Order: sequence, then structure tokens, then C-alpha cells
Amino acid sequence: MAGLVTTFGAGAMTNSIGEIRDVDCLFVIGSNTTEAHPVIGMEMKRAARRGATLIVADPRKIWLSTIADRHLELTPGTDIWLLNAMAHVIIAEGLTDDAFIAANTENFEAVVATVAAYTPEQAAVVTGVSADDIRWAARTYATTEKAAIFYTLGITEHSHGTDNVCALANLVLMTGHLGKPSAGLNPLRGQNNVQGANDAGASPIYFPGYQRVDDFGALARYEASWGVTLDPKPGLNLNEMMKEMGRKLRGLFVMGEDIVLSEPNVGHLEKGLNGVDFLVIQDIFPNETTRFAHVVLPATSFAEKEGTFTNSERRVQRVRKAVEPPGQARADWSILLDLAGKAGANWTLESPAEVYAEMVKDTVRFAGISHERIDREGGLQWPCPTPDHPGTRTLHEGGVLRGKGLFTAIEYRPSSELPCDDYPFVLSTGRTLYHYNSATQTRREEGLDSKQPEAFVQIHPRDARELDVRSGDEVAVSTRRGEVRLKALVTRQVKPGRIWMPFHFKEARANLLTNDVGDSVTGTAEYKVCAAQVVKVGEGTSKFPGAYAVE
Amino acid sequence: MTKTLNINGSTFEFVDGESLLEVAQRNGIGIPTLCHDPRLKAVGACRTCLVEVEGQRRLTPACATLAAEGAKVTTDNARIARHRQLLLSMYLADHPIGQKNRGDDELLEMAERFAATPLGALRSARPGRSENVNPYIKFDAERCILCARCVRYCEEVEGVQAITLAGRGSLTTISTADARGLLDSSCELCGGCVDVCPTGAMSQRAGWPLLKSDTKKVRTTCNYCGVGCQMDLVVDPDANDGRGHIVRVDSPGPGTTTNDGNLCVKGRFGTGFVDHPDRLTVPLIRGEDGELHEATWEQALDRVVKGFAAVQEAHGKDALGFVSSSRCTVEENYLVQKLARAVYGTNNVHQCAAT
Repeated sequence: MAGLVTTFGAGAMTNSIGEIRDVDCLFVIGSNTTEAHPVIGMEMKRAARRGATLIVADPRKIWLSTIADRHLELTPGTDIWLLNAMAHVIIAEGLTDDAFIAANTENFEAVVATVAAYTPEQAAVVTGVSADDIRWAARTYATTEKAAIFYTLGITEHSHGTDNVCALANLVLMTGHLGKPSAGLNPLRGQNNVQGANDAGASPIYFPGYQRVDDFGALARYEASWGVTLDPKPGLNLNEMMKEMGRKLRGLFVMGEDIVLSEPNVGHLEKGLNGVDFLVIQDIFPNETTRFAHVVLPATSFAEKEGTFTNSERRVQRVRKAVEPPGQARADWSILLDLAGKAGANWTLESPAEVYAEMVKDTVRFAGISHERIDREGGLQWPCPTPDHPGTRTLHEGGVLRGKGLFTAIEYRPSSELPCDDYPFVLSTGRTLYHYNSATQTRREEGLDSKQPEAFVQIHPRDARELDVRSGDEVAVSTRRGEVRLKALVTRQVKPGRIWMPFHFKEARANLLTNDVGDSVTGTAEYKVCAAQVVKVGEGTSKFPGAYAVE
Repeated sequence: MTKTLNINGSTFEFVDGESLLEVAQRNGIGIPTLCHDPRLKAVGACRTCLVEVEGQRRLTPACATLAAEGAKVTTDNARIARHRQLLLSMYLADHPIGQKNRGDDELLEMAERFAATPLGALRSARPGRSENVNPYIKFDAERCILCARCVRYCEEVEGVQAITLAGRGSLTTISTADARGLLDSSCELCGGCVDVCPTGAMSQRAGWPLLKSDTKKVRTTCNYCGVGCQMDLVVDPDANDGRGHIVRVDSPGPGTTTNDGNLCVKGRFGTGFVDHPDRLTVPLIRGEDGELHEATWEQALDRVVKGFAAVQEAHGKDALGFVSSSRCTVEENYLVQKLARAVYGTNNVHQCAAT
């Protein structure tokens, strides 16, 4: 997101979900869309059925790759080589949109100079994708008018995640595939309200609406609005907070996240949590983190409160109360208001509608949106600056929001941990269709759990043979940070030398293994690449229902 | 040049590729349908949308007939009414009609509207799938009219081809490969088949039988991924001692929201957690003995305020951190960052999804 804010001036899908069906070339990279965003997956299937060209770049075979025109099965962590080589081809073959570049961008020369060295032949060696496939993908993407890129955490969950986003933005800017219906760059958000949480300023560097805390205009605005003196020094990001736990950071408030199951390098984090003086958890279920808490506050699920979620296409939509919370549980917003009051604040807010109204007062982008208007008209897409503005379907239509789209020359940096003799496999982690994140909700649902009851690690048949492992056998997967035991799933979905496991299962916590090195800009951890070893522990039988193993 | 045709005496514009049904619906002219769904290719299977086109001897399905320049179309007259009534009577002949009002049976509603009564009593031999072991989706062969909306949805929208038309003649039914249970098929349990079924032959195991009038529907936004599907929580308000219970989840009609009537397995079937006995229901404070003990809200919030104050007194204001959540609402995220910044004076506020 930081990458998109820097290059385009707004960190969000530039297109709308409804535009996907009309895209003629879909370039899906680092997104297992049909499992992680199934309903957007349906729109992509619809476009493909209609005859759109589908290019999938992913280290694994996924549902979408089975219907793709070509599948670029790149080595995890080598995205920059693939993307720079595509840029190389587009420039070398004169497929750039020179008028767009001249009118709407800056710093193109720097990219031209950098990508000159990234030849498709050399990229083929690093990425494992053939030079022919790279050329074909570059030509197809560049020469199709309605071409759109879709990505998720396969792009961002790297130590060079922001670089990856910038390299994608370069492709978009040099081909002019921006600011038009069905052509653009689209990050698909993993959680229901990722967009909204960022929009609302749950960030160490931004106030609501992406106004920097060290921008004195913004600071003055919020000091006046809130009637307090504010600190212009950016705070710690999540990755830094986790590492400083028990050191610089001695007190922590956690709302709605099981950090012990979700954050990387958990062994280290748990030590830190033991050193924290005061930990407050506000959640709907006891989880792995509540073990460390000093106070636990029972909160409410989405079905028990009022508010809004903002989806991937920037659409602010209502959350409405359907049932009463259990026991003494209370809505998060009302707990927060009480907490502020008890700590001496004199806020006069009484409902989520009033909170939303206060938020938009100081943010031009959302100023035209209110609960009342959404209730009347349905969800609204920002930018929506005035109450009579219809909202914005396609971003950057009247020119790039930043003013000029910024090209960024990106050099390849290897992932911070590469396979070696002791840890010969590349481990990636991810999500499956039937579970969701730490699975506190989905594993409590009988049907979802019966479809996928236990943790597994995917291993290629050739590797499995060498390890004498069959599907269903128990294996120990270890990295420099920890070890977990779980069932092996032997499948050609992964390539030899690579293994993959979901992070949903607390009895086999993938995040005991993952690397907590963070992206230098966002702090997002490298969940997608670390070096691992696999050892067979015991024989077993497979209980895996067949549906999720793409053969 | 704009093209026009005439429906029931009025002239309407259309663009090439539009069906008679689409032109009529766009202009507020109701034509009854059972097998039609705007997301699917028209097949003209159910014959309820038959209309008269001048110059054609036979009635023609409006869904599968393209609009043509100058066409003169009649959507309702004695001949069409007679035809429709007979057709519905034939459908009803092997359709269970004793359980009216049970839910969404468009066929029964339509029969009532057009005063159609069952034509004799016929015992359908259509086989079901006794081994269909799965927690969500039920197939009642007796109610099926073979419009194949479910099969077409499964292929054209969800793209998994888990269910198919199987058998011949009166034995034709909706089945899976080798008549296996859905859990052993390529089914991803999206529940689209349930949603598109016009007769309740495909239904959710949960929530039956429940009269429509005993429930309320609440439109909200799904709490799983970032697509932001709109969904209708169907609530039994009297359950759980008046707290209410989510009986099932319906998707809004196609074309009305971002998700175009679609939902995935998590959205449609993943709300059971709301009523799970593991839910936290009382504030807890860790005592001297190292265990968490139940407390009042007053005690718990006082403890939080004191605890944060103590940390900041001992280690400075930036010794405090706030982890907000992309699972919570916009308003709650706003309040967390305002609490961190305006009350506790620190910018140490973030959430797990700032990539």
C-alpha cells in the first residue's frame, strides 16, 4: 500500500470489482484468488469464459492456473526479475504508451536504465519462467487495451514487498493501463476491512485519509479538531512493535487479532510477551494471545454491531446489527469510548454514525460519505468529497491522483533467507478456501472443518520419494526459528524444492517457522519465503478430502 | 441508429444481443420465469416466459429470443395465459404442495398467482442421492423441475461442475459424478445452487422449516475477505432467549450489489461462530494467582486505565502500543488511533494489514 501511495497517490484498487468481467487481459500475480477472494475469483472466471486472456504468475499450481492461458511458475521471491524483464521487453519492443508517459508520469528514464540489464534470458535462469513465456506475457499485457493486474500477499509479504508493488506500478505506467475502466492495478485486500482500517488512520505514519503525522498542516488540523497536542514523530509499525515487545514496548492493547497465531517468528514474540508489563486483549474468543493477557475484554462479532467496512474497491458499506451480543459482551466501539472517557478524554461521540461523521470532517476523500447516505443509496466508493458526489468507480480517470505517476527504478534483492544444505526447501505459507486466518471462526464451523480438518504441508512427489514420505505421513518441518509437526500432502501443486502450508492451524503453527524480517517501508513480514527442512516422523493415513488438491 | 421493437403496443429501444426478456424487464414489463438468471446463458428450459411474436406460429421463450428490429411482441393474452396455466399444472402434478409458505418456492407462488391447480396426481420416479453426506446442502428430488439453474450456475459462475443433469426421461435428476456426496466431489460448497433454485429442491439443511413471517432479514457486509459481499442475515429473533439466532445467509439478488448475487462457502455458511459456546462473555482480569478471573466492566476498564498509566509513568509514553484490527469496523479503527494519539500521546498504532 505504501508503494501505491508513493507511486500513484492512493493505495487501493484502481478499478471496481464489477469491471473485472470486462477485462481482456488479466495478469494475476501472487494471488490465489479463487480461494482467498472467491467471489472476485468468480468474476475472473467469467472474464476468462468470455475469452479474456488470463496470465497467472504463482509459484504453485492454483485453481486459476488450471484455466490460465499460461502459468508463469516463478521461483518464490524472484518477482522483481520477472517484472523487470517484462518491462525490458515492453521497452525494447517499443510497446510503451509514450503519450501517457509524457503527460502523466515522471522518472521513466531511471526505469529504462535499470531494466536494460534484466533480459528475459537472464530472468529465465533466476525465475524458472522461460524467456518465451516472459516475452509473451509482456507483449500480451502491453498490447491489450483493457489489461488489469491483480495481486495480493504473494507480492507484498516479502522483505522486498514494496519493491514488488513499485515494479508492478512501473508496468502499469509505461503501458498507460491506468485511469480507465477495466484497466489498472488492483491489490485485493485480505481482510474485510483492510482498506477501512488504513483509511481510518490505524497506522504509525498516517492520520485518517493518509495524511502524514509529520506533515505540519495535518498535525495542526488534528490538534485543532481534537483539542490536544500531538506528537509529529511517526510511531512503531506492527513488525517493530512485535520485535520491541518487552523491551521498548512495555504495554500493549490488542483489538481483534491473535498476534501469537498471526505474526511471524512466534517463538521470539512469546518471549517478548512474557516480558510485557501490561497486555489488554479485546476479542470475541479466547485465543493463543489471551494466555498472556492481564485484562481480557469480551467484544462483539460483526453481526452484533453497527458500523462500516470498506472493501477492496474502496466501497464503504454498512455493517448492521442482526442479533444481540452474548452475555456481557459489548461492541468494540462502545468499549473504546468508555475507555477514553475513563482515561480522562471528553469525547462527545455516542454512535458509530457520529464517529464516522467526525472522521470524514477532516478527510476530503471521504467527506461526502455518511451512514445515513449509505443506508439510502447503498455502498459508496471513495473519493467522494461532497454529499452530492456519486463516488468513484475507477481511480485516476481525470489524471493520476499524485499529479504525476512516479516510476521507481527497482533492483532485485534476494529474499533474506535462501535454501542451504541444512534447510534445503523454500517454505511459503498462505490461506485456503475453507479457513480464514487464525481460523477462530471457521474451525468452529462444522462444515468448513469437515472439508479441511487438519493441517498439512504440500510436498512434490519427487521430494517425497527422497524423504520416503507418502500422503498422510507425519513430518516435522523446521526452520532456524522453530519446528512444527503435521501431515504431508504429496502433490504436484508445488514444484520440487518448494513446500507450502496454510497458517490456520494452531496445532501446527506456520508462524513458528516464518521469518519476521520486515519490508523496509511497511514492516510487512516475509511470510512467503523462508528456508526449511522436512523430516519424516511417522507413517499415517490421509484424511484429506480431495477438493483442494489441484492435480 | 437505434433499433426499436414493440411490446404490448408500446415501442422500446434495444441494443443488439438483448433478449426479449431483457428488453421487457428493463422497461418494467413483468414476464414470469423459473429457469432464468441474468448471470447464466439463456436456455429456455422452463417455458414459463413464452410470449407471442407476430408472424410466428408458435409461442417463443422470451429469455432465449433475441430482440429484432420491428418485432411485435405480446406478453399476455388468453392464449399465453392458457398455456401458462397448463404448464404450471403439469409442474405441480409431481410437486409436493402441502408445505406452502415453507420458504422460497417460486413455483408455488406462481401457481397461486395464475390460479393453476395440479393436473392429476403423478408420482415422480426421479431419484435423489441418499449418500449425499454434507452439512449444508440438501437435494429434494420431488421438488425439482429440472430447470437446471443449479447445474448451470455450478458450471458457468462457480466453474467447478460438481453437479450435473443425470439419467434419462422421467429418471432425469440432479446428481454428481458417480452420485457421490458433495463432500467427495469438486463442490466448493458455495451454496449458489441453493440460492438459484426456484422451487426449494436445493435447500439449506439449516433453517427449515421456518415460516418467512417468523424471521427478519438484515442486510450487512460479510466479515471474511476484502471483497465486501453484501448479504442478508436471516434471523430468528426469538431464539437464544430473545438474543436472536442467524438461521441462514441469503445473497441479495443478482445485479443489485458488488457480489452480483454470489457468495462463497465462508460467507454463506460461516456464521456459526457467532453463537459458539467458546465466546468471551465476561470481562476477565488476571489475579495474583496468575489466573484470569471474571470481573465487572467497571473493574476491568479501571484496571486497563491504571495499567496503561503505570506503563507510561515508568517507561514513557511511547512504551505503549496499540494493535488495531482490519476485522473491526472503520469507526472502531478510527477510535483506536484517536485513543492512541489524542489520549495516550503515541503514534504506536498499527494493524496487521498495512502491506
